[in-house]
Amino acid sequence: MENPHSATLTQEQGSSLWRDGWIRLCKNHMALFGLGVMVFFCVIALLTPWIAPYGYEQQDLQLGASPPSAAHWLGTDIFGRDMLTRIMYGSRVSLLVGFVATGVALVIGVLWGTVAGYAGGRVDAVMMRLVDILYALPFMIFIVLLMVVFGRNILLLFLAIGAVEWLTMARIVRGQVQNLRHQEFIEAAFSMGLSRWIIIRRHLIPNTLGPVIVYTTLTIPNVMLLEAFLSFLGLGIQPPQSSWGLLISHGVESMEEYPWLLIFPGLALSITLFALNFLGDGLRDALDPRASKD
Amino acid sequence: MPLLKMASVSILLSLLLMACGQGESNTASGNRLGILHLGNGTDPQELDPHIVTGVPEHNILTALLEGLVLKDPSTLEPIPGVATRWEISADGMRYRFYLRDDARWSNGDPVTAQDFAWSWWRALQPALGNQYAYMLFAIKNAEAYFRQELTDFSAVGINVVDDHTLEVELANPTPYFLQLLDHYSYFPLHRATIEKFGPPDQRGSLWTRPGNFVGNGPFSLTEWQLFKRVIVEKNPHYWDAENVSLNAIHFYPTENITTEERMFRSGQLHRTATVPIDKLAVYRREHPELLHTYPYLGNYFYRINTEMPHLSDKRVRRALAMSIDRDAIVQQVTKGDELPAYTFTPPDTLGYTAPDGFTYDPDRARALMAEAGYPGGEDFPVTELLFNTSEGHHKIAVAIQQMWYKELGIKVNLHNQDWKVFLNSVNGGNYGIARAGWIGDYVDPNTFLDMWITDGGNNRTGWSSARFDQLILEEAPRAETREQRYRLMREAEALLLEDMPIIPIHIYTSKSLVNPAVKGLEPNILDYTLYKNLSLDNLSLDKKSAAELPD
Repeated sequence: MENPHSATLTQEQGSSLWRDGWIRLCKNHMALFGLGVMVFFCVIALLTPWIAPYGYEQQDLQLGASPPSAAHWLGTDIFGRDMLTRIMYGSRVSLLVGFVATGVALVIGVLWGTVAGYAGGRVDAVMMRLVDILYALPFMIFIVLLMVVFGRNILLLFLAIGAVEWLTMARIVRGQVQNLRHQEFIEAAFSMGLSRWIIIRRHLIPNTLGPVIVYTTLTIPNVMLLEAFLSFLGLGIQPPQSSWGLLISHGVESMEEYPWLLIFPGLALSITLFALNFLGDGLRDALDPRASKD
Repeated sequence: MPLLKMASVSILLSLLLMACGQGESNTASGNRLGILHLGNGTDPQELDPHIVTGVPEHNILTALLEGLVLKDPSTLEPIPGVATRWEISADGMRYRFYLRDDARWSNGDPVTAQDFAWSWWRALQPALGNQYAYMLFAIKNAEAYFRQELTDFSAVGINVVDDHTLEVELANPTPYFLQLLDHYSYFPLHRATIEKFGPPDQRGSLWTRPGNFVGNGPFSLTEWQLFKRVIVEKNPHYWDAENVSLNAIHFYPTENITTEERMFRSGQLHRTATVPIDKLAVYRREHPELLHTYPYLGNYFYRINTEMPHLSDKRVRRALAMSIDRDAIVQQVTKGDELPAYTFTPPDTLGYTAPDGFTYDPDRARALMAEAGYPGGEDFPVTELLFNTSEGHHKIAVAIQQMWYKELGIKVNLHNQDWKVFLNSVNGGNYGIARAGWIGDYVDPNTFLDMWITDGGNNRTGWSSARFDQLILEEAPRAETREQRYRLMREAEALLLEDMPIIPIHIYTSKSLVNPAVKGLEPNILDYTLYKNLSLDNLSLDKKSAAELPD
């Protein structure tokens, strides 16, 4: 069926959801600010081994805990280790854990939830019961078991956290998909003979993006704190390495005497959290396929 | 329906009011009711005196049981416990104890000389695995009986003359024998209770549980909730019950010392087990009256598992010890007036000072590592440094980890475990380097040296030296003068420090925060507390008595 207007139509389609989203995101200053901060932190984290002023394990016991000064911009901890350096190195672990673990959770959770929600019936029941069972499994025991079997390994930590965090994601996505699957545009796509996979990919997943993005931005800081908790138990990263979570949990112990040991890592984590939230909000608005095109 | 609603609302309201009424802090209610709230560091491993080895267990057991003698907390001299008096033969080899008639178990049974004899017999049963069995080796033939070279217990120097007279014959004149009697290895146990719950030499039988435990101390066990608290209440059958002022003691197993300090600040504890390093300066500045520090007869050290191939070389062990800057640790990390330790026995223990076994010498340490085949730390296997969970131990470990890395180029991983798991790992030799602390059981250098005999229950390093065993078990005990005995002990300690199965780090200071209401606490180098001497100042009583005074 030749259509004389097809050429112009294709051009219109060129303005895809993603491109549209990007244009809308650019108009949202807070979201752009969030994105900028995250990019900045990631660049710093990547360059840390070359730009850090000191070594992260380098101690100066004679100096001890000292407040911010010209030599140590953010002060030193009780071992005389430079806080700026430790926060920079800490960001490598924290951001990596945050993104990798959340990424793992995102991929598994969205796929699992969409398939369950779209397939429905017996497949849905089996898949969601599996999620329920994993939910019931005590998280700590699961992680400790993994560590016992595979040894203490930072990559495993990412996987373990991701493997637990996807459960909620799967439930959220399944709920969304169940709502969407009987709507007219899905029926229309189906009646046009699109395969299930294309329907899921082109129509269902983009429509669940809003809640998924919000939940993802909440998961990242959560995962960072989880890492601190596991490290405190001796299951996560090991000293002298550091992460923001560990720095904060040690900072709390001495917050009256040496407040800068808590304030600076705390600030780093809060700024990241804020930036992610702004970015998440912006992305949700920008990528909402139902939003009107300007 | 409205009636039901009203009823539920009123129930809710009254619950709320009740909750508000309970706003009184532990210490305030404790002062009123005579309940002492003590931080105890960790949950006891067990409450069987022939199984435990730690200080937290000691703190509870001295409330539950009482030996033949007690110690005066201010002078640490022996004072009457279950025995009212004792006679010592001229050669110092025979002791005769006269037990009081009114000593009673917490179920009302009389405490007799047989109870002591039976308990000491149990302590020496090899199947029980008592790590403190060597404490009883002061008694004639006790060691031979423990090693099963002798099967007849009547040959051991314990003689029950009658129900209230006990005679002990020693292997050697042991000047500190009376002090030993106040250690839990020498406490009496209630035979009928233990036999009711299993064979006497069975570990972990249920006789130590609340409700089952029968003791002869000033308090009896009423509650033991794992990782929550242990409660002991005044024992009405105790012979000196009228002089026991406290009605109960609650022991809290708070491993997180920051939490413990917060509990103290919010009035949940009368006394803490220790003080967080970062808080020492704050208390010194703002509340010096609450902070109690005192020299403590103990050594903070690391055990080295000499059975690990790369740690079996004494050059490696010496290098590890010599590359730790102890001055920096005590001044910058622990900050509690501790002394850097270059010997195992604390200096001037009853006049005994050991020669320094090594010095801080990183250059020499590097040379030793090179000699041992690890120049610059090359090829040195990554070793695990194990400690029981506590921020204080963690800080010292982090500092030492870096010193070893900087000076020797070797990498160690830090690994922390809960106290019970930790003790199991160390006992099983399942470690590379492990944190340890040894507090003198009595004031004599022997308590720091006899633990290192071959296969001694508290050795746990796999280290063994025939000459050391001979000096400690045979020559020193037979010495005629104190000077001669100390000379032999110095020789033994030099052997220990030469082989370095341990790395001494610092001599302890006891640190605690104490509520001013606690009266009768006497500082001493054993951090020894006689619970029956303690009392709590009740503020409301104070006001009353003040009002009665004429202005």
